[in-house]
Amino acid sequence: MVSREQIESVLGRIRPMMQADGGDIELVDVLGNSAHVRLTGMCAGCPSAHMTLYMGVEMALREEIKDFAELVVV
Amino acid sequence: MKTPGAFSPDNVVVGHSARMRAIFDFVKVVSKSDSSVIITGESGTGKEVIANLLHHSSSRRHQPFVAVSCALFSENLIETELFGHERGAFTGAIKDKPGRFEMAQGGTLFLDDIDDVPLSMQVKLLRAIQNRTVERVGGTRSINVNVRVITGSKKDLRKMVADGNFREDLYYRLNVLPIVLPPLRERREDIPVLTDFFFKKFARARGIDTPTVSPAVRYAFNRYRWPGNVRELENACERIVQTCSCGTVRTGCLAAGVLFGAGDPVPSPAAAELTVAAPTAVSLDDRLREVESNLISWALKVSDGNKSKAAELLSIKRSTLGDRITRCGLQEPAPGEEPAAGPAPVESELAASA
Repeated sequence: MVSREQIESVLGRIRPMMQADGGDIELVDVLGNSAHVRLTGMCAGCPSAHMTLYMGVEMALREEIKDFAELVVV
Repeated sequence: MKTPGAFSPDNVVVGHSARMRAIFDFVKVVSKSDSSVIITGESGTGKEVIANLLHHSSSRRHQPFVAVSCALFSENLIETELFGHERGAFTGAIKDKPGRFEMAQGGTLFLDDIDDVPLSMQVKLLRAIQNRTVERVGGTRSINVNVRVITGSKKDLRKMVADGNFREDLYYRLNVLPIVLPPLRERREDIPVLTDFFFKKFARARGIDTPTVSPAVRYAFNRYRWPGNVRELENACERIVQTCSCGTVRTGCLAAGVLFGAGDPVPSPAAAELTVAAPTAVSLDDRLREVESNLISWALKVSDGNKSKAAELLSIKRSTLGDRITRCGLQEPAPGEEPAAGPAPVESELAASA
């Protein structure tokens, strides 16, 4: 079972930079071993930001958290 | 006619770093000579750019510039590639083919990845460079070649010589005028000017206005390690320009690798580079607190929140750690989540150990 803290600690590594740009990646929910996140702020509507964060953040979560299953951008 | 990818000395970004300026001054001086140049640098640092610049600043600039990577060819192929072959020299050799040395006649030959040339071929290369003649494979006559040889290497050839992987005689023949290109992470002051140059270049190619770049992106670019050096930076900029839909480059546009790389271990604008050119006031106390809180976060992370283990990692007392966590404003985990393994905190030590 993946904990909220584990996910937050990974997101925390990139969050200050995203916040500096008026955006954020918000952890909405943890369901089982999956995390639901939401992009907010300036980059929220950008398809390419969506895409790269989707892939990149999920990869980082999988690397750092053994049992991590998938990232869902809601 | 100029192709889009064609080299032009105007497209070379010099940058502000003293090291690069010294290199460009050196290039100006040695471009007048015909002596061998060896350019050493990590992948992506711009070895071919410098070779090109040398050629285009020399009196040979109206003659051909031939660049060839020695890593591309197998041991057998490299000889025919460099020296050419005669018709009938081997199966499939249906006509005479000049080698790269001949193709560079009068001009400059850039042999990149010289560190990948097998020992057996090194002898032949030495002979060709020393005597300024080549013999085609399967041929008997010597062809005079007037070329300036520039070599590129990822590895330190001196070390390869010491290890017996590179011929000493060839090394000394090549190593007349050495140029060592620094990795991008060692000349971070050049990152902004390179970034602007690449954004401008790719935006023009795509026919859009040059995007503005947010300070957070600049900060991330400055913090990232750039293992692929300038080539990686160039590709990162190209990728962003191709996908940007709003005209402003923000952190959301960055590849996650750059973002996470820049955010490691814990990002904070206070940790920005200390520059000599544009000095700003720094708070020593803030910096120290930052280092402290980075290390504590790390220790808590690797010990899964177990403070006794974390304290052991940091070589401090368990009670001191508690104190420092509070002082750094790091959040204490909820009581129920703290592993029970640690000994009870010794309260009396709190004040004394700070």
